[in-house]
Formats: sequence, structure tokens, C-alpha cells
Amino acid sequence: MKFLVCLKQVPDSTVRVKVAADGKSIATDGITWSISPYDEYAIELALEHKDGDPSTTVSVVTVGPARSRDALRQALAMGCDDATLVTAADTVGGLDVAKALAAVVKEAKPDVVLCGKQASDDDQGLVGPALAEALGWPHVGMLTKIAAVADGVELWREIEGGHEVWTAPTPVVGLVHKSAKEPRYPSLPGIMKAKKKEIPEKDLAALGVTPGAPRAEVVAMEPPPQRGGGKILKADGDVKALAAELARLLHEEAKVL
Amino acid sequence: MRPEAGQTERELAGAVRDWASRALPGPRIAASESEGALPADVIHDLGELGVLGMGVPESDGGLGASTVVFALVLEELGAAWPSLAIGVSVNSGIVAGSIVRHGTPAQRARWLPRLMDGSGLGAFALTEASSGSDAASLRATARRDGDGWVLNGRKHFITNAKYAPLAITFARVGAAEEGVATRPGAPPTAHAGITAFIVPTDAPGVSLGPSDHKMGLLASDTSALVLEDARVGSDAVLGEVGRGFGIALAGLDGGRIGVAAQSIGIARAAIERAVRYARERRQFGKTLVEFEAIRFSLARARTEVDAARMLALRAAWLRDRGCPFTREASMAKLFASEAAQRATYQALQVFGGYGYMREYEVERYARDARVTTLYEGTSEVQRMVIARSLVAA
Repeated sequence: MKFLVCLKQVPDSTVRVKVAADGKSIATDGITWSISPYDEYAIELALEHKDGDPSTTVSVVTVGPARSRDALRQALAMGCDDATLVTAADTVGGLDVAKALAAVVKEAKPDVVLCGKQASDDDQGLVGPALAEALGWPHVGMLTKIAAVADGVELWREIEGGHEVWTAPTPVVGLVHKSAKEPRYPSLPGIMKAKKKEIPEKDLAALGVTPGAPRAEVVAMEPPPQRGGGKILKADGDVKALAAELARLLHEEAKVL
Repeated sequence: MRPEAGQTERELAGAVRDWASRALPGPRIAASESEGALPADVIHDLGELGVLGMGVPESDGGLGASTVVFALVLEELGAAWPSLAIGVSVNSGIVAGSIVRHGTPAQRARWLPRLMDGSGLGAFALTEASSGSDAASLRATARRDGDGWVLNGRKHFITNAKYAPLAITFARVGAAEEGVATRPGAPPTAHAGITAFIVPTDAPGVSLGPSDHKMGLLASDTSALVLEDARVGSDAVLGEVGRGFGIALAGLDGGRIGVAAQSIGIARAAIERAVRYARERRQFGKTLVEFEAIRFSLARARTEVDAARMLALRAAWLRDRGCPFTREASMAKLFASEAAQRATYQALQVFGGYGYMREYEVERYARDARVTTLYEGTSEVQRMVIARSLVAA
């Protein structure tokens, strides 16, 4: 089976996000970038197939600025076979990203396209369904498992309190919620092999995509309000009064009692 | 040499740091330290990651990485978990390295995969109760028997013994034995007849003594290896009969780079924790980092860590180019291990009384650091080695 995983490079989850001077974006100077966690699960799901059946191929693609190459390199180091970088500014909207991905998919002709269910930076969850729409392929979300069956694939989705099993013909787009195992770490030999691989680069124009004016726009970003300082009750001997005051505050101010 | 490692080298070390930061959370390490064993799945992971075979040539199925990479990776493992670092240093540096350098194609094909696949960690059995730094005085014996060998003796303080598929074991072949490599007419030297054997730990006559109770590195196994008429085949001899002492010394030279790197990692981790704590802890209305006494102690410790790393990378760089590096490895090991004592001491001072408590990891780093001036040659032995090269005519 032939997998194509679409990934996005996002600020690492350990980064302390700060609002940039323009008030509409985050400051990206010196931050660490990673593969979005749900996309990592998608890679792991595909690589588990490859573990079981070495004839499986796993390709990765991303649409993003030049630094996204590092995320592709990381996916190759995890064991993916090849990677494609579609260069585009950070500001290109989700629909145009989906159109660019659709052009890559049509050329690569995979059986299964996997995306993380949403990117961890903007949490929009737009690109995966839009890609399926652009391709005219079925799409199934919240995947935790995927198995090859006659004439297609069996797809396990997580639902409240259990899971559902769906089948779909291939080709199909799957949106991944989680993999059974945690995503594997890049091995040292994997890193060395990944360094030797060429990552072809395409731009939007070459894929026939002209980015349109954004239909939705971020107007402002604000950090969450600072938390107020804690309150310290002074124990001056009268423990009973202190306990009563504590109970009152928990009830009236904190509203936890 | 460059004062800093190259990008690929740093990327490989960075991958190990990322793995360690996610796969080895503090409570997991604390639990293994009190159990006194390295978890099998962690060793397995290191095999999967390619860490265990990092110094083994690609033609033998390894990564074929440089000694510089080895040093940087060992630093990361030392910073994350010193008990794990020494297990890997012995397995991948000393044991696999000795088989790569001296093994026959058959020995390489049979044993290197076992040292790389994460099913265990190899051991190096040189030390005995009465022979530590004076390794040439070892008493274990080997005699020919049919087409194999029979070994007798008791090896002490053997790192990884419990996890080891094999132990490179040094024993003396009697002067009367055939094939001893002393020149006719030359007086026998102290290390005459010493021979290296690859001893499978499941060979008949091989058993383990009880594990030693140590001050630190509690999860690293240290046990005695007992040889009672242990039988190995003729293919167990590593290198030539009677030439084992050179194999031992070469193994220790490389091992010293590993211990230097481990020491650097320990020192770095202790300082990082001290800095973190000092930024938060307030006394007399100020954070600790606002006190000059604290700032200066951290600055000195960090300077020593960087100096130690440059010494270690120099030794590694020389080794990678086939240049003599014995003196440089001893200098790196001497300075790094002594710097680790000062760094962990200062880090613990920053924590004050809390540093003495087990819940703050700095206490463990301080205990783990202590052995680095002792094993793979004490500081005094390193000074002997360095001085010998200075005064030699």
C-alpha cells in the first residue's frame, strides 16, 4: 500500500508563545519547530504498516516556508521513504494549502492520504476535509487504526466511550487522532540516511495554485489574562476562625465548595 | 580541530537528548535506581535508536559514527541518566570497540549484533580483587584443553555483568603453554601470557557473584564474574594468545573518553538544575541568582564543563584520525571527572538542605559523579599516564 502523509511544521509544544509586535501573530524568533503532534501520529500509523509489510511506501509532503524542510527531514529520519516540500508563505490560507496538496496527491497517486486531525498551532482542522473535497475522495476522521482489507481499508475511529469500525474504498483521506504506539523517535542511522535524501521543492504556481485573498483573517492576538496572586491567610492563633474564613472564601470567591 | 562539533554530530546527539527527555522521566529513573537495574525496554530502545552500534562500522551493521559523536552521545546519556551512560560506554565503547579492532570476521559477525540489538549490554572483565590499576598482575588463568580453553578466576566490579551476553575476559596463559608471545631469550614481562577471551556468559562454568552495593550508579549493575573450569572454544581468543594486555589498554583508552563524556554530562545536568532552582528560590527578598556568590560558583562550574568538553573532543578527534590519543584521553578523563566533583558539589550547595534530599535529583548526580575519578583508572593513574608521556626520553 502507498501512503502519503501531509504534515505541518508548528512551534514545538514546549515553546512559550509570545505575541509579536504586530499584535496579530506570534513571535517566531529563536523558537523550536516540530512536526504537529497529530501529524506525527499519522506518520506512526503509516510506518507501522511498513513495519508489517516492507512493500509499503510512506511519502510525506508539507506546504510551508523553507524552514519546513527540517520537519520533512525529521519524518525521513523516522523512516519515511521520500518527501516533497511545497514552498509557500505562512499566511497562505487553508483552502489554498489543500489545493496545493491535492495537486501533489494527484501526481503521487497514493492509496491512502493521512493528515493529523488538526494542526496544534491554529487548531482549525480545515486542511484535511478540504483536501478530500478537492480530490473528491471519501474522508474519515478521528482515526486510531487502519488495516488493509479486500477492495479498500478498514478504519477505526475513536468515539465517546468506544470505537467504530468503518470500511472505505481506496483512495481515501484519513484524519488521524492517535496511533496505538507513541510516534517513534528518529534513529541515528535514520538521521544519517535522511541526510542523504534529496527533498524536491515545488512552489504554488508550479502546482497551478494562485493564493486568493484570505477569506478569514486574524484581527488580534492577546495573551491570556495574568493570573492574580494567591491569597495567604495568616494563622494568628484562632484556627477555628481561620478555617471558617477559608471555607467562606472557597465558597464565595473560588466557588469550589 | 574545530572547537565545536559539526552539525551532523550535534544533530545525532540532539536526537539522543530528545529521546532521553521524553523516554526517561525523573520518576522512572528514580524507580530503576531503587530497584538497582536498568529496564530491559530502555536498553531495547537504545538498540532500536542505533545508539548501541554507533561506533561499529557500517559494514558490520553499525552506524560507523566517529568518536566525536560517541563522546557527544555519552554526554547526553550522562546528563540524562549516568547509570545508563556507563552501561552504554562499556558496551559500545570498550567491548564492541575491542571486537571491531581485534576480532576475526567470524567473531565480528557472531558477537557485534548481540552488542547492538538491545538484548543486553556487553561486559569487560579485567579487574580482580587484587589487581585494579595494576592490571598486569591479574591471576585468572587459561589453559588449553582439547581444541578449546579452560578458564579459572574471579573478576570483580564487572559493569553490565547481569545484562551481558558476553564478557571480554582477561586471563593468563601459562608460560609452558604453547604459543605464548614472548620473544625467545627475553625475560618474561609482568603482562606476559595475558590473553583476551570472548566468554559467552552462558558458557559452562561461568556464573555471576552477587551484585555489589555501590554509593552511586545504583541502576548500573556491578557484579563479580566467576570462572570455574569455564570452557570456551578455540574461537574465543580475541586477538593473539599472549597479546591481551595491549587489547586491555587500548580498550581503556577509549573508555576514558566515555567516562570523560559521562562526567561532562553529569556536571552539566547538575548545573542546569542548580540554575533552574536558583532562579526560583528566594531568600532575603531576592532570588538566589541575584547573589554574587551563587552566580560566580555557577559561572566557574560552567566554564569547567566547557573546558572539559574541549579536552574530550580533542581526544576523540585525535582518535578518529588514527593519531595517538592516550595522553589526551587521560587528560580529558582526569579533568572532566574532577570538574564533575566540583560542579555537583556547587550545585548541591545552591540547593542548600533541599539538595541533600532524594526528591531533588542533584543528590543523585553528586553520588553518581563520585566514581568517575575512580573507574577506568583513578585520577592518580591518569596523572601517572600523563607524566609518563612527559618525562619519557
